[in-house]
Amino acid sequence: MRKFLLITTSTLLLASCVAGPKPLYNWDKYEQVSYNYLKTKNDKTSKALLEDYKKMMAKPNGSRKVVPPGINADYGFMLIQAGKSEEGRTFLEKEVKLYPESKIFIDRILLMTAETK
Amino acid sequence: MRNTNKSLIAVAFIALLSSCVTPVLKSVAYKKLYSEAPKTILIMPPINKSTNVEAKEYFHSTLSVPLANQGYYVIPPFLSMEILKKESAYNSELFVGNPLDKFGEIFGADAVLFTTIHKWSKNALLADVTVDVEYTLKSTKTNNVLYTRRGTIIYDASVNSGSNSAAGFATSLIASAIKTAATDYTMVARKCNVYTLSDLPTGKYHTKYKIDGKENAGPKTFRANVR
Repeated sequence: MRKFLLITTSTLLLASCVAGPKPLYNWDKYEQVSYNYLKTKNDKTSKALLEDYKKMMAKPNGSRKVVPPGINADYGFMLIQAGKSEEGRTFLEKEVKLYPESKIFIDRILLMTAETK
Repeated sequence: MRNTNKSLIAVAFIALLSSCVTPVLKSVAYKKLYSEAPKTILIMPPINKSTNVEAKEYFHSTLSVPLANQGYYVIPPFLSMEILKKESAYNSELFVGNPLDKFGEIFGADAVLFTTIHKWSKNALLADVTVDVEYTLKSTKTNNVLYTRRGTIIYDASVNSGSNSAAGFATSLIASAIKTAATDYTMVARKCNVYTLSDLPTGKYHTKYKIDGKENAGPKTFRANVR
């Protein structure tokens, strides 16, 4: 009994340090696929990253139920790089709508991509 | 023997307690961060001083998730990387000790995160990876250091065979060696980031924004074992 109590107390103690609430966002496999893409850029890794972006945008989850910061913008940027400039720009605009604090940077990108059109 | 056991338990208890409880509040330890309240963070490419050439990528790709989960707006990582390259600003070492107002101007960043990987070594025999990493968040407005933490994190990749026999030991040793070789290193970097940045006061999208100053701050330098 005493042992049991002791174990329970120490577990509680540990849990009070470690346990956290539900994360703000759902990131799917973002960390893994973005690493793969960062390391080697090819058709396979870029396709996997694009698919992951789409998944995160289609079903935003986590406690905020909002697409995580940067996802719309980086997705739009990949589209622009692939020559889909118009479609890409709409996603950059979505980022600003969702996160107004991104305006300074995104406006700069919009301006740059408009120049190279 | 019973006495030894008891004192061992007592020691373990004290160790547990002291690892949680530190007398400094976050509002005191990170005073400048609370007064400046940055909302947007730009992640700079990590500075790699270790002998593992790939360590930079492991960290670079795993930083935005914990920062965003702490409630900050993280400047889009791939898009910002491209601009940093274009502006010949990809070498973080050139900026770490200098004024950062340009980063506020171009990226709209309130703060910039520098990461230095001091050491990354794996020990196949002990089946662990030891990482010594330092994080520094600097303001683009005042150039103040808002948050800095350095930790030695030992990632245990060992496989427990669940047997105490010599044969079991040998099996688990071999299994561990194989596992270390194939350890998913992004996982190691991820654990380091989450562990070290978990002490970062939360940003505006977090429910604890501005009220976590009452929590206790972790130590500035630390050593931790993670699995």
